[in-house]
Amino acid sequence: MNNTENVQKVIELLKKKISRQAAISFGVCVHCGMCTDTCHYYAATKDPKMAPAYKVDQLRKLYKYYIDWTGRIVPGWVGAKPLKDDKDLDMLMDALYGSCTMCRRCTLNCPMGVDTAMLVRIGRSLLTSVGKAPQGVKDVCKAQYETGNQMAVTKEDYLETIEWLSEELQTATGDRGAKIPIDKKNANVVYTINPREVKYAPLSLLAAARIFYAAGENWTMTSEGWDNTNFGLFAGDDVLGALMGKRQFDKVYELGGRKLVVSECGHGFRATKWEAPNWAKMDLKFPIESFLETMTRYIKEGRIRLNSSVNKESVTYHDPCNLARSSGITEEPRFLLRQSVMDYREMYPNRADNWCCSGGGGAMSMSEYTPRRLEVAKMKAEQLKATGAQIVVTACHNCVDALSDLIKYYKLNMNVKVVSELVSEAMIIEKRIPLKVVAAEEIIRGSGERILVIDDEPDIVTYLTTLFEDHGYKTLSAFSVDEAMNKILSEHPDMITLDILMPGKTGIKLYHELRSKKELLNIPVIIITGINPVDYPQIDFRKFIYERSLPHPEGFIEKPVNKEQLLITVGKIFAHKQTAVKDA
Amino acid sequence: MAKVNLGGVEIEIDEDGFIQDPNVWNEKVAEALASTEDVPNMTEEHWKVVKYLREYYLKYNIAPMIRKMCKDTQVDLKHMYELFPSGPAKGACKIAGLPKPTGCV
Repeated sequence: MNNTENVQKVIELLKKKISRQAAISFGVCVHCGMCTDTCHYYAATKDPKMAPAYKVDQLRKLYKYYIDWTGRIVPGWVGAKPLKDDKDLDMLMDALYGSCTMCRRCTLNCPMGVDTAMLVRIGRSLLTSVGKAPQGVKDVCKAQYETGNQMAVTKEDYLETIEWLSEELQTATGDRGAKIPIDKKNANVVYTINPREVKYAPLSLLAAARIFYAAGENWTMTSEGWDNTNFGLFAGDDVLGALMGKRQFDKVYELGGRKLVVSECGHGFRATKWEAPNWAKMDLKFPIESFLETMTRYIKEGRIRLNSSVNKESVTYHDPCNLARSSGITEEPRFLLRQSVMDYREMYPNRADNWCCSGGGGAMSMSEYTPRRLEVAKMKAEQLKATGAQIVVTACHNCVDALSDLIKYYKLNMNVKVVSELVSEAMIIEKRIPLKVVAAEEIIRGSGERILVIDDEPDIVTYLTTLFEDHGYKTLSAFSVDEAMNKILSEHPDMITLDILMPGKTGIKLYHELRSKKELLNIPVIIITGINPVDYPQIDFRKFIYERSLPHPEGFIEKPVNKEQLLITVGKIFAHKQTAVKDA
Repeated sequence: MAKVNLGGVEIEIDEDGFIQDPNVWNEKVAEALASTEDVPNMTEEHWKVVKYLREYYLKYNIAPMIRKMCKDTQVDLKHMYELFPSGPAKGACKIAGLPKPTGCV
């Protein structure tokens, strides 16, 4: 290997690759250190070499040396250094491929707006041009160039799999006519997927097909250009990036499709929607949508109906970086999950501030860095653990595998699913499930159990007590924590509904007291509160309850109260209590 | 790359725990790998799937599609996940001594 040749090539390419945005990002970093704690590599290891600014400095020093005028005048002062040999390239590879998942959490927290992931991508493109990339990334890029999809699935295998899934769809819907259409002309929706969904993990595709079927959508998949993933994004290869986008776009035009819907894949959505049209220099005449947006629309338009009592296990949601931070898709998945499950729990921090799954930026295909990936997954593991949830749901296949890996490594005992799977499970397919039966299962009437309603707002107390009394319960009420405690001790209610934000002592304090006194421990508690009240929009109050080492409340209902959900929860808690008493 | 003792043999595995040389695979190795993938007991059905995967890989040098796996072994999709909780790619393929699948897995 000729050192000089590689080094020379990288230097030449560097001069071509520096865009205006990159030059500004290099120029404005003041090394204030704000990014340091936001990076999971640093937060988990406390190794200063893992600070985003330090990692990008490995590239910045070359920019200063070869391009920026300040580097020619006062090189020592601005940290300009030349690229000497292949060893320098290896170090660069370790920093840009091995120590960054391009999740952009640091960018969000940078006061100067330095887009670290963009700089990392430029650095990766230099390395890729001289073959300095992890073997797994090279293999996937090669497969995408040569076969059109990242897992080298042949057209024959792909079509056979779709046919097989059509049969599974028929079994699932009980309709012999149900099928997954291929290359249908003039469809409303052209659906593209992550190859993982046909090669190894078809449950998400089956769920999507079931949802399209129930919504009565005129949709199709395609025989070519069906891979929505794009390793051009991770390898810094704009040519591949353009090609993977163009293959999908051309097919939509060819079929006269009205909309391109991208399945639950974080980077696939970002690359297809935001990046590929630029790389491919195409001005698209059709919209591109994430399947999360599609499902949300179906529910809002009344095209599919869900019964959340089907999914009883506790569920939390992991925001994929490419959807939350880079695409602003944060509320759709929460809306879908609240409609699909009984017990939804928020994770902290969340939305655009969420920690990376640890597998972003193509990290899942870089075995050489797996030990480090798992070590820094500690941040994610702690976050997952604090939710106490049984299932972590996400909207990205790459996150699914990264989360599964870290759950195993940190022995967390959780399952991982994608949103469409839970939506599909909760969906009422009218032909198969008679609606009356479902309705009858939902609300159980009380038989005189006494519920103490605690809330400082008289309107809410009146509303809740009336609702309970209309459904066969007896009620007591209290407007402050002190009054509540007196009533609990004197009246021994069978259940308590508790507001958290109250003047004077808070509901959190009362909850703590309830769960610390042995004689009160058995009274079930449902927290009824606003998660992000108007006065404190940044605080999710659920964490004050779930992050304590106390038994969790039996229920958690958000304001404004959905009365069906509340009555179902109350009914279930009493039913469960009865069974427990009988068993004992 | 690290060397570990699997079923009494020193074997090289990658950082994700996949064995590197399919020739060193035997049933003892498979059992040792199974214990790392939430499969405490290899039943007849497990062996059927694992042996199928290995034969397919030795013949075509690639892992089969999930459809082929289900069809040729007569194990339906749902049951496949019950047999291999960590899934067909990382669970079954690893036990069968295939290399780590590439891409978003």
